[in-house]
Amino acid sequence: MTASLAALPTVFSIGLQRQLAYRWNYLLRALFSAMPLLVSWVFWKAVFQGKETVGSYTLAGLLTYYAVLLVVEAVSSPADDDFQISREIREGMLNSILLRPLPYGLYRGALFLAGRCAYLTAAVLPVALCFFLLSRAVPLELHSLDWIHGIPALIGSALLQFSLTLCLSLVSFWLLDISALIFLVYSLEFLAGGHVFPLDLLPAPLFTAARILPFAYEYWFPAASLCGTIPRDAWRAGLGMQFGWAGFFLLLAAFLWKAGLRKYTAAGG
Amino acid sequence: MVTPFHLLRLWFIQLRYAASRELAFRANFFAWVVVELAWFVLQLAFVGVVYQHVESVAGWSRQEMIVLVATNQLIQQIFTAFLMPGLVKLPELVREGKLDFVLLKPAPPQFLVSTSHLEIGPLANAAIAAVVGILALHDLHITPTLPSLLAYLLLVLAGLLTHYALLLGLVSLTFWIIQAESVLLGYYSIFQVARLPREAATGWFRILFTLVLPLLLVANIPAATLIRGLQLSSMLLFLGTCLSAALASSFFFHLGLRRYQSASS
Repeated sequence: MTASLAALPTVFSIGLQRQLAYRWNYLLRALFSAMPLLVSWVFWKAVFQGKETVGSYTLAGLLTYYAVLLVVEAVSSPADDDFQISREIREGMLNSILLRPLPYGLYRGALFLAGRCAYLTAAVLPVALCFFLLSRAVPLELHSLDWIHGIPALIGSALLQFSLTLCLSLVSFWLLDISALIFLVYSLEFLAGGHVFPLDLLPAPLFTAARILPFAYEYWFPAASLCGTIPRDAWRAGLGMQFGWAGFFLLLAAFLWKAGLRKYTAAGG
Repeated sequence: MVTPFHLLRLWFIQLRYAASRELAFRANFFAWVVVELAWFVLQLAFVGVVYQHVESVAGWSRQEMIVLVATNQLIQQIFTAFLMPGLVKLPELVREGKLDFVLLKPAPPQFLVSTSHLEIGPLANAAIAAVVGILALHDLHITPTLPSLLAYLLLVLAGLLTHYALLLGLVSLTFWIIQAESVLLGYYSIFQVARLPREAATGWFRILFTLVLPLLLVANIPAATLIRGLQLSSMLLFLGTCLSAALASSFFFHLGLRRYQSASS
């Protein structure tokens, strides 16, 4: 186990080098990810025409939420880890990894971390530029960001997204192509995760239902924690739900991995 | 000499081959219908949530906004069925040198790359979008006239050409950037502009997305034609800008093609 842990920095370093080799790809990705913020700005400006608030949000508060979502996405969303894992299983590349004395979950965890670091490096400039431009047009409430409650929620979001990705990818042991499944979960993450609009704009019963599902803790919860719009008690309960879901998906991933390996056939040289 | 008739015949042959390949994976077909439907429901849910809090956005009522969103979905799904699957394969063709096989064929490479694949699933979702649009028009008590329907179809074609121009331009970046898979994310991100009511945009944003890249016109002009009747000046503006965008992206593709080094080099 100690030897396995000692290998992790090397895996991280290799992953980082591999990801930075495609820095233009990351830069483009970061630039494009700022586009929804621009669209939100234009759309919500029209919605707020002649109105001070929508739900409990002012225009600046709502746009701050969308801006903070960019940070949440940069820190916690996997890039194409799901498709990489799926390819490793489908094309038999798992063989060489299985021979190494390194648990697969830890190996993928180190690569996920490396991917996030590479993406953050490429995203810093575009995201900062986006914040700067937007703050000239709208008085964003960035000065009042609650980092004390936001950082644990960000870490929880990264863990939850990684564990959910791992579970989805491991379905490749049974299905030839999981891309439809992945995009279906993406759509759920966008709607029930608070990516399209803050979940507290939903009618009360739907908002309550959304907070039971894991998706709310991927985007809405960390973004709202950073914006400081969640009361202290609700934040503690939310963090419990977030880490609870992450733990559940990690256990499920361990189960899927064991069951999948029994089915896996290593062929070829 | 390759004539338009020859190209059309070639396209039908490619479509027939691609359709038989698609129908070999029927479960995949149904899975993708569900996925695309989920994304459409997501857009309608967004409209539902927004209009819980306001009566109209930039002069568009709830039902009018549904016509706009449904028109956008209709155009996007037709594009996803016929042209997008081929275009998104370009980065892989370039990276692995497989574009050699396309260049050796006696037909324009841009045509071959664009029409090589087909996805049938999105056509089912295009039909669903059309039904949602018709129902919203019914709620608005609007029965489109024949001229406005014909104009709508022409504008849908112009919308397809705009989608094509943008994606061709983006995937052509692959001649300069080795791994250009992120361009697909770029396409989806930029095309969120098409769902905006045109009147909501102001200043440089409106000028950029009307005159340079006419995304604000893609769904707005056809939807407004159905709801408010024919608007000749807007139609001509849209047709002119989409043709310019298509010519510019085609030029960019051919510029990139000159940089292509085949697999053997």
